[in-house]
Amino acid sequence: MISFVLRRLASAVPTLFIVVTISFFLMRFAPGGPFNLERPLPPTTMENLMRTYHLDQPLWRQYVTYLSNAVTGDFGPSYIYHDNNVAQLIGKGLPYSMELGFYALILAVVGGVIAGTIAALRQNSFLDFAVMSVSTIGVTVPNFVVGPVLTLIFAIMLAWLPAGGWGDGSFRFLVLPMIALALPQLAVFARLTRGSMIEALNTDHIRTAKAYGLPSRAVVITHAMRGAMLPVVSYLAPCAAALLTGSAVVETIFTIPGVGRYFVLGAINRDYTLVMGTVILIAIFVIVFNLLVDILYGLLDPRVRHD
Amino acid sequence: MADTTDSILTVRGLKVDFSTPDGTVEAVKGIDLDVHAGETLAVVGESGSGKSQTMMGIMGLLAKNGMVAGSARYRGQELIGLPPKALNEVRGSKITMIFQEPMTSLDPLYTIGRQIAEPIVHHRGGTFREARKRVLELLELVGIPEPARRIDSYPHELSGGQRQRVMIAMALANEPDILIADEPTTALDVTIQAQILDLLKSLQQRFGMAIVLITHDLGIVKHFADRVAVMRRGEVVEQGRTPEIFERPKSDYTKMLLAAEPSGRKVSPPDHAPIILEGRDMAVEYAIGKGLFGGSSTVFRAVDGVNLRLRQGQTIGIVGESGSGKSTLGRALLRLLPSSGYYRFGTTDISGFDRSTMRPLRRELQLVFQDPYGSLSPRLTVGEIITEGLYVHEPELSRAERDRRAIAALKEVGLDPASRNRYPHEFSGGQRQRIAIARAMILKPKVVILDEPTSALDRSVQGQVIELLRDLQRKHGLSYIFISHDLSVVKAMSDYVIVMRNGRIVEEGQTDAIFEAPREPYTKTLIGAAFNV
Amino acid sequence: MTDIVQIPAAAPETKGRSLFQLAALRFRRNRAAMAGCIMLALIALFSFVGPFFSPHSYDQVFPSYVSIGPNLEPRPDTSTLQEVMESVAARARVTLKEFNVEGEAFTATVTSEQPIDPRATRYFDRANEFENTKVVATEDEGRTLKVEGQVDREYFPFGTDSNGRDLLVRVMLGGQISIAVGLLASLVSLGLGVFYGATSGYIGGRVDNVMMRFVEILYSLPFVFLVVVLVVFFGRSFILIFLVIGAVEWLDMARIVRGQTLALKRREFVGAAQALGLTDWQIIRRHIIPNTIGPVIVFVTVVVPKVILLESFLSFLGLGVQSPLTSWGALISEGANNIQSAPWLLIFPAIFFVVTLFSLNFVGDGLRDALDPKDR
Repeated sequence: MISFVLRRLASAVPTLFIVVTISFFLMRFAPGGPFNLERPLPPTTMENLMRTYHLDQPLWRQYVTYLSNAVTGDFGPSYIYHDNNVAQLIGKGLPYSMELGFYALILAVVGGVIAGTIAALRQNSFLDFAVMSVSTIGVTVPNFVVGPVLTLIFAIMLAWLPAGGWGDGSFRFLVLPMIALALPQLAVFARLTRGSMIEALNTDHIRTAKAYGLPSRAVVITHAMRGAMLPVVSYLAPCAAALLTGSAVVETIFTIPGVGRYFVLGAINRDYTLVMGTVILIAIFVIVFNLLVDILYGLLDPRVRHD
Repeated sequence: MADTTDSILTVRGLKVDFSTPDGTVEAVKGIDLDVHAGETLAVVGESGSGKSQTMMGIMGLLAKNGMVAGSARYRGQELIGLPPKALNEVRGSKITMIFQEPMTSLDPLYTIGRQIAEPIVHHRGGTFREARKRVLELLELVGIPEPARRIDSYPHELSGGQRQRVMIAMALANEPDILIADEPTTALDVTIQAQILDLLKSLQQRFGMAIVLITHDLGIVKHFADRVAVMRRGEVVEQGRTPEIFERPKSDYTKMLLAAEPSGRKVSPPDHAPIILEGRDMAVEYAIGKGLFGGSSTVFRAVDGVNLRLRQGQTIGIVGESGSGKSTLGRALLRLLPSSGYYRFGTTDISGFDRSTMRPLRRELQLVFQDPYGSLSPRLTVGEIITEGLYVHEPELSRAERDRRAIAALKEVGLDPASRNRYPHEFSGGQRQRIAIARAMILKPKVVILDEPTSALDRSVQGQVIELLRDLQRKHGLSYIFISHDLSVVKAMSDYVIVMRNGRIVEEGQTDAIFEAPREPYTKTLIGAAFNV
Repeated sequence: MTDIVQIPAAAPETKGRSLFQLAALRFRRNRAAMAGCIMLALIALFSFVGPFFSPHSYDQVFPSYVSIGPNLEPRPDTSTLQEVMESVAARARVTLKEFNVEGEAFTATVTSEQPIDPRATRYFDRANEFENTKVVATEDEGRTLKVEGQVDREYFPFGTDSNGRDLLVRVMLGGQISIAVGLLASLVSLGLGVFYGATSGYIGGRVDNVMMRFVEILYSLPFVFLVVVLVVFFGRSFILIFLVIGAVEWLDMARIVRGQTLALKRREFVGAAQALGLTDWQIIRRHIIPNTIGPVIVFVTVVVPKVILLESFLSFLGLGVQSPLTSWGALISEGANNIQSAPWLLIFPAIFFVVTLFSLNFVGDGLRDALDPKDR
C-alpha cells in the first residue's frame, strides 16, 4: 500500500512538471503583458517595472527561476495585488473556498446518492420521475442561472438569507452559494447512482443473494450498493477537486473572497504568477484526489487492490 | 401421470409471461411437475424452452417484466404469490440454487467465506465469526484445497470449477430439501464438468436432498437423473423415468432430440491424397505485462512446436480445453497472426508471406467462427456480408452476377435466397451460422478452418449444421480443420484427431485409434469425461 | 439465454429492417424525445428566421425605451404621449398649445416667442415615439406652427435592455450564436476525436500507448482554466471561441472512439473480414466506422449542451463574443446583474436557454435508448 502511494506520488511529479511547463509557455507566447494597460505607461516606468519583476530576462531564464522558486514554495509576487505575493493570496482565499466546497461536496454526494438509490429502487414510479426531473434541471441549468434565481427568491423576495458575502462566516451566509455550487454535482451523482444501481440490481450475484433468501435490505445495502458505488467513487475525484478549489461563477455572484475568482482575474489581467499559482493549486488537488479515490476504490473492490 | 404421494415440490398449471414492447411472450404455458424427496429430476430442453424460467418463477427470481401464475407447493405450502418475507424462509434454506455462470453468480466484492456464511447467518442466526467453522467444513466437503487459506479469497482468485464448488457449498450450507442446479456445468471444461457432477452425486447420496437438474445436455441426463421432463416452447412434452425416456421415447420431439446426438462417420480420403496445408514447428508467442517503456515482460507460448499436415479431402479435428491454444493454432495456420515455423499451402512455401502477399491466397483458405452473433457485421445485409469476399477476389463481377452468386450460396447452405436483403439480427443462431458458412463457400475455397462452429448452437441445430458441413465437403472436395472442445462432434466429423493441451500436442492419430485406444492419461480423462460422465 | 424471439419465415419480397431503421422506429415512439426534437426545431426557427420578421435590428438603440418591461401592448402608450410631447417641445424650446392623437396620426400646435425654425420638426422625429413630422400650417408670422405626423408604435414583447435594445431580437441573436457555437464546436471535437481515437485504437501497440499518454496529460490540465487563458490571450472572436471549445472537448470523444475501435477490433466479424483478405482501409470503412456511429451520435448529443454551457460560462465571465453581438450566456449574465431592477432580462434568455438544454437532453436520452444494443 505504502509503496503504491509513493509510486503514484512519484509519477505525479512529471505530470505536474508538464502542466506547469505548458501553462507557462502558453501564457508567455500570447500577446500582451501585465502592464499593458489601456493608458500606456511611460517607457521608463515600464522599463522599471519589467526589471523589478525580472520580465526583461530571456524567457528560459524566467522559466528556470520560476521553477526553482516554485519548488521552495515561492510562487512569486502578484502583478496586480501589489501588497501580496501569490502564496499569500492563495493562503488567504483557499480556506473560504474549501469550507464552502466541503459543505457543497457533502450535500452533493449524500443528496445525490440517496436520491439516485431511491429512484433506482422505485424505478419508473412517480418518485423516480420526480428525482430524475430535478436532476435533469440540475444538469441543464447552469449555476450562473441558479445563483441569481436563488438570490432573487430567498434573499430579495423572502429576505430569509443574506444575498452574498461571507459576513461573520456563519452558516446562513453559506446556504445559498452552497446550494448553487452543489446542485449540478448533486444531479450528476443522482444520475450516476441511479444508473449503476439499476445495473447492479440486475446482476447475477444479486439474483444469487435473492435465491438464498437474504432480506431485501441486505441485498440492497451489502450487495447492490457496494458495487453501484464504484462509478460514483470514480467521479468523486474530479468533483471534489473542482468544488474545493472554488468556483469563479459562484464566488462572483455571492461575493465570496475565495480563490475561485483568482484564475479569471489573473487571466484577464495577465497576472502570470497568479495564474500559474492557481494552475498548480488545481493540478495538485486533482492529483491528490485521484490518489485518494484510487485508494478508496481499492478498498471497495478487491479486484483492483494495490499491494 | 405423476403421483403426488411423496412429492415435496408439486407444480400445477405454472405459467410465466414476459411483457415486452412487442407484446406478451408466454415463456411457460401451464406446466405440471413433481419433485420427490431424494430423487434427481432432470428438466431438459433447448434454449427458449422455458426450463430455466419455470424454476425462476417458482423461486420468485423473474426479471422485472416477468409474471408468474399457477401453483407450486413445497410440502403443502403455496410458494406462488407468497410475500417476500415468507418466501425468504424457504429460499436458501429449504430450496437452494446453483447457476450456470459461476463467474458472475458470486459477488466479486466479498470473500467466498463471507458469501457462504451469509445464508447461514440469515437463516439460522448467529454471527459471521460463529459461522466460520461451518464454512470451513463446507469448503472441505466440496473439495476446495486448503480451505483455511481459501476461505478469505475473492471469487476472481478462483478458477471456474472452484467457483462452482463454492456455489455448491453455499447451496448445502443449510442442508436443503431441494437443490436446483441450473445448467451447472455448461460454462466449464469437460474434465471439470465431470468432477462437478460427481461431487453433486456424492453429496446427494450423503445428504439425501432432491436435485432438480436443468440442462440441455442429454449426455448428462442419462447418467445422472432418475426421472426426466422434456420441455419445448413452454410445455412439458414428455415426463418419465430416465431409462424409459431414453429407450422408448413417446413424443416426436424427444425422439428428435435423442437422434440429434452427432452420429455417423466420415469416409477417409485415400492415403496418397496430396498434402494441401502443412505447418512445421509452429509457435505463437505473446508478451504479457509489457509497459510503455519496455519493462519486465514475460513471454507466453500459446502454441509451442506443433506439426500438422492436412491432406486434400481430409478433416483434422483439434480438441482441447479452453486455453489449450487450439484456436490460436487455427489462426496461425491461416497466417492471420505473427507466428514462427514453416508453412506450406499446396506447393507454395508461405512461411515468409505478409498480409499483402497472402491476400490472393485468402480465397482458398477460409475460416468459420464459433459465435454466429459476433461474426456477422450487424450493419450490413446478409447479401452484403456473403459477397464481401467477391469484392476482394473478383472485383470485376457485375452487380447482377454477384447477386446470382449470393443466391446460389444461400441455396447451397439451405437458406431462403430472399433473406439476402435482411439483416443478421433477424436470424436465429443456426441460420446465422449458415450465413457464415455461405460467406466462406462463395469463394470456393480449398481449405476451411472451422473454429467451434457448433458450440454456440442447440443440439438439434448442431446436427443439421454438421450434416451441412459434411455435404459441402463431399460435394467440393474440401479439406477441413475442425476445432472443438466437444468430442462427440469431433468424432462425427474428423478422420484424424489432434489432442492439445497448454499449446502442445498431447496425442494424435486416426479418429478410431484415439477414441477407442487412447494412450495418454489426459486423452483418457477427456474421453472419459465426455462419454461416460 | 432465452431465445424466445421466433424468426418468421421469410416472405419472398421481404426487405429487412436495418438496425438504424429499427432505432429510428424506437426513437419515434419515444414521446419525450420527439417533443424535444420539435422544441429544438422551433427554437432554431425562432433564432434564425425570427429576425427577418422583426422591424428592429439587434444593435438598434431606442433611447426612449431604456429598460422597459415586457408588454404585448405597443409603445408608446397613448396616455403617456402628451407627456412625451411636452418634453419634446421643451427640448425644441417651444410651448405646446394643443396636442391630439387620432389612431396612428397626431396633430400638435406649438408656439414660441420667436419665429420657429421649421427644422425644429427634427426634434419630434428624433424622439422614438414620433415619425414623419410635417409642418402643415404656419401662423403668427412663424411663431405658431401646426405640425402633423405619425405616432411610431413599437412592440417590445420581451421588453428592452439597459441600453434600450429590443430583448426579443437580442434573444434571437443570442440563440443564433449559442446554437452555432454549440454545433460547430461539437463538429470540431467530433472530427478531432474520431480521427485521433480511431487511429490510436486501430494501430494499437506502442503508438496507442503514446497517443493515450498525451491525452492523459491534457486531461490533467485544468480545462475550464485553459479555455479562459486561450480566449483571453488569443482574442475573443467568434471563430476562436468555438475552435477553442472544440479543441478542449475532443478528449472524451477520442477516448470513446478508441474504446469502440478496440472493442470492434476484437469482434469476430473483423477477424472474418481479415480472413477474407480485406485491407485495413476497407475494414475501417466497411466495419469499424459504421459500427462506431451509434455511440458517437449519442455522445454528440451530450457534447452539444456541454459546449453551449461552456460558451455561456465564458460569456458570463465576460469572455464570450463582444457587444453588440451577444449569446444566451451573455444575456443571462446581463440579466443576473440587473436582477433587482429588470428581472425580465434574466428570465427570457434563461427560459430559452434552459428549454434548449432540456430538449437536447431528452433527445440525447431518446437516441441512447434507441441505439443501445443492450435493448435487443
